[in-house]
Amino acid sequence: MRVERLADRRVFITGMGIVSPMGHGVAETLTSLQAAASGIRPLTLFPCPFDTPLPVGEVRDLPNGDDFPRTHQLALAATREALGEAQSAPDMVIMGVTTGGMLSTENYMKQGHRQPRFSPYHAAGSVAEVVAEACRCRGPVLTVSTACSSGAVGIKLALEILRRGAFRSVLVGGADSLCRLTYYGFNSLQIVDRSGPHPMDRDRHGMSVAEGAAMLLLTAADQAPPHAVAEVVGGGLSCDAYHPAAPHPEGRGAREAMMAALEDAGLSPDAVDYINLHGTGTVENDLAEAAALKSVFTNRFPPVSSVKGSFGHSLAAAGAIEAVVAALCLRESFMPANVGWRHQDEAIGFRPLTAPQHQPIKTVLSNSFGFGGNNAALVFAGLESGKAAGNAKPARRLAVRAYACLTGAGGTAATLERFFQGVSCKGVLAADRLTDRLPPRSVRRMKRLARMALGLSTRTLEQAGTAVPIREVYFGTAWGALSETHDFLDKLYASNEFYTSPIDFVGSVHNAPAGQVAMREKARGANVTMTGGDASFEQALTAAHCLAAGGEHPVLVGGADEMHPVFSALFDPSVTMDDTPSDGGGMLLLETAGRGTQMTLQPGYFAAGLDMAEALQAVVAYHGGNPFFSDKIGAVMVGIPAARRNAVTPHLEALWTRLGFKGPVIDYRRYFGEFASASAVAAAAAMALLSRGAIPAALAGGAEWPLAGRCILLLGLGETITTMLAARHEP
Amino acid sequence: MDPFIEALKVKIIETLALEDVTPEDIDPEAQLVGGDLGIDSIDVLELVMLVEKEYGVVIDSKELGAQVFASLGALGAYIQKVQNAGGAVG
Repeated sequence: MRVERLADRRVFITGMGIVSPMGHGVAETLTSLQAAASGIRPLTLFPCPFDTPLPVGEVRDLPNGDDFPRTHQLALAATREALGEAQSAPDMVIMGVTTGGMLSTENYMKQGHRQPRFSPYHAAGSVAEVVAEACRCRGPVLTVSTACSSGAVGIKLALEILRRGAFRSVLVGGADSLCRLTYYGFNSLQIVDRSGPHPMDRDRHGMSVAEGAAMLLLTAADQAPPHAVAEVVGGGLSCDAYHPAAPHPEGRGAREAMMAALEDAGLSPDAVDYINLHGTGTVENDLAEAAALKSVFTNRFPPVSSVKGSFGHSLAAAGAIEAVVAALCLRESFMPANVGWRHQDEAIGFRPLTAPQHQPIKTVLSNSFGFGGNNAALVFAGLESGKAAGNAKPARRLAVRAYACLTGAGGTAATLERFFQGVSCKGVLAADRLTDRLPPRSVRRMKRLARMALGLSTRTLEQAGTAVPIREVYFGTAWGALSETHDFLDKLYASNEFYTSPIDFVGSVHNAPAGQVAMREKARGANVTMTGGDASFEQALTAAHCLAAGGEHPVLVGGADEMHPVFSALFDPSVTMDDTPSDGGGMLLLETAGRGTQMTLQPGYFAAGLDMAEALQAVVAYHGGNPFFSDKIGAVMVGIPAARRNAVTPHLEALWTRLGFKGPVIDYRRYFGEFASASAVAAAAAMALLSRGAIPAALAGGAEWPLAGRCILLLGLGETITTMLAARHEP
Repeated sequence: MDPFIEALKVKIIETLALEDVTPEDIDPEAQLVGGDLGIDSIDVLELVMLVEKEYGVVIDSKELGAQVFASLGALGAYIQKVQNAGGAVG
């Protein structure tokens, strides 16, 4: 994806779709909101052994027409409404998802199914892929998985991408269905209120887990296009870097996200007319958010309310649902009630809106905070509010300062030594070796993926030499923390759904590994986990180049996937096709490019849904045609998942012949193994090859092949076709 | 040496993956949470599950948890008190 100079473009909401416990569609949702209704009822979706099922926000009467898991169905319902009669497909789809196909996976597991690939739609990333296919989108499909802030982080990412000018429209949203993982998981943390949620109330005891989906069509334009509902004027991301599940007690990260969003929008706190709170109803979250609000809105405290007493907390969908709520507030000139609130809490010190209030408003701030201290705040403006000044900063070029990888062979040096000799690095490194730089007690609660992330960050920073103040962390993983997820469900089922592990629950979210890196490095900027099959690392690199472009601090970008003895083979068909179980990952330290010799890794082409011949042609065209390959590319590192090998190989051979490409083509999964984030290892290896200046004989087919200043193209040929360009620049 | 307390120590070490801790390292009277063992609020929730599953003793409020998890000795005493009272939580 090309990251260009920030264009002076505005971003409008031109379509919306929503399905939630408050109704099907925008019109029903608005009616429910204006009636201060609540969609919270006892769980009926799956059997639960408790005497009284916990109150949840369940979507009623979801038509069961498709073979997809429930999250996918919710997302499709919202997509149909958001796109309505739109004639053209969106240029890109971005979704926030955390549970994905988990409910279906749980049902299968409960029935004892263990066949390979029993749930083709298990992955959180598969929701956006299904949505993209349904709306015939042939551009990039990205999935943010930062737990409860996913939907809002996705909107911020869409905003940055649209501002940069390469795309005109993005369908962005969030979706999550109820499932046992989150239902029992939040309960095990003792943050579920058995009487339903009472956000900001003195006697609040927790949230209600919920489900739903909301999708927004965002369109970039100089002025409001027809059908525009509201404008997205700013967004800010931060990380508490404090605790895996609890917020910073003074709401430090929440404050930083709100301040960043307002700065991005070019607005002062006084310009905010209404704040849609994160307000889950847990004791700690509401207190932390209140503290943050009081520190930001010192001059004038605007009306506030949490709608989670109405919708419950729909996790990754919440940020998108509340974006729809914000747009409705602006369009309809009203502010919704904080349903469930009864008594003022002196520690909170303010009173939310107890009834819907009708008055014109111009600007809404919407908060979404999540596990791992992942915070997002968004600013929306009405169409009559006049053009916001905006405060978008010029994009910087990011150079690679250091890199590291982990494979079955060990760390960076051990992996590269074998790789350069053309020897396999496949295997599964012992858990304690992943984190051999860290005290055992500091990683005792982590299973495999979080250890990989910390193993990568400590190795990357070790290579950098001096202490580097990391500000932002971007991480890609196709499958997330499989060990924690498996163990959570295993323990749950073993106890007839009475007991489980809160530690595994907290560790099971996709963004837990990046959260651990942020805590260790005190990285309080954006902390973004992306997911999407074999292109998960490429997604993280894309997010880094879009979101970190306006910053000034160093950032980490990594990707990893773990080998799990039960789950990996069930979810990833390529895993079963290799006799050697393998896993690993890679990480890069990026900083503002300077003047000396430096290396860069740029995200390039990214698309799904094309046939292979068509896709390879599109890749060549994207990079400027045949001359680019003959003049600029010294070597190609190609990632071919085993399950795709037969389909891909003939096309690839034909491509090299057609292009007359004579350089080495390194089929890197043959060395690193079959795991989704193998491309992250390849990225680190490409950096090492560029430093070396030549492809070693063992990888170049006989004789050492000098790169002679040319680039290395990393070509990913999974379900999504991607390129990354690794280059070395001389002063 | 109280065998009940000793068994509880082993279970806690195993549940919380305190690999570098031996039962002798845990002083029954020392502060359990936030002390030398590095046990925090998430660990306490894990122990709540352990106590409920292994001993049938429910600890479902923060206030009660603060008392019960003050020390290993307090936890052991609470479990035994509830069990002796026939499982009633009090």
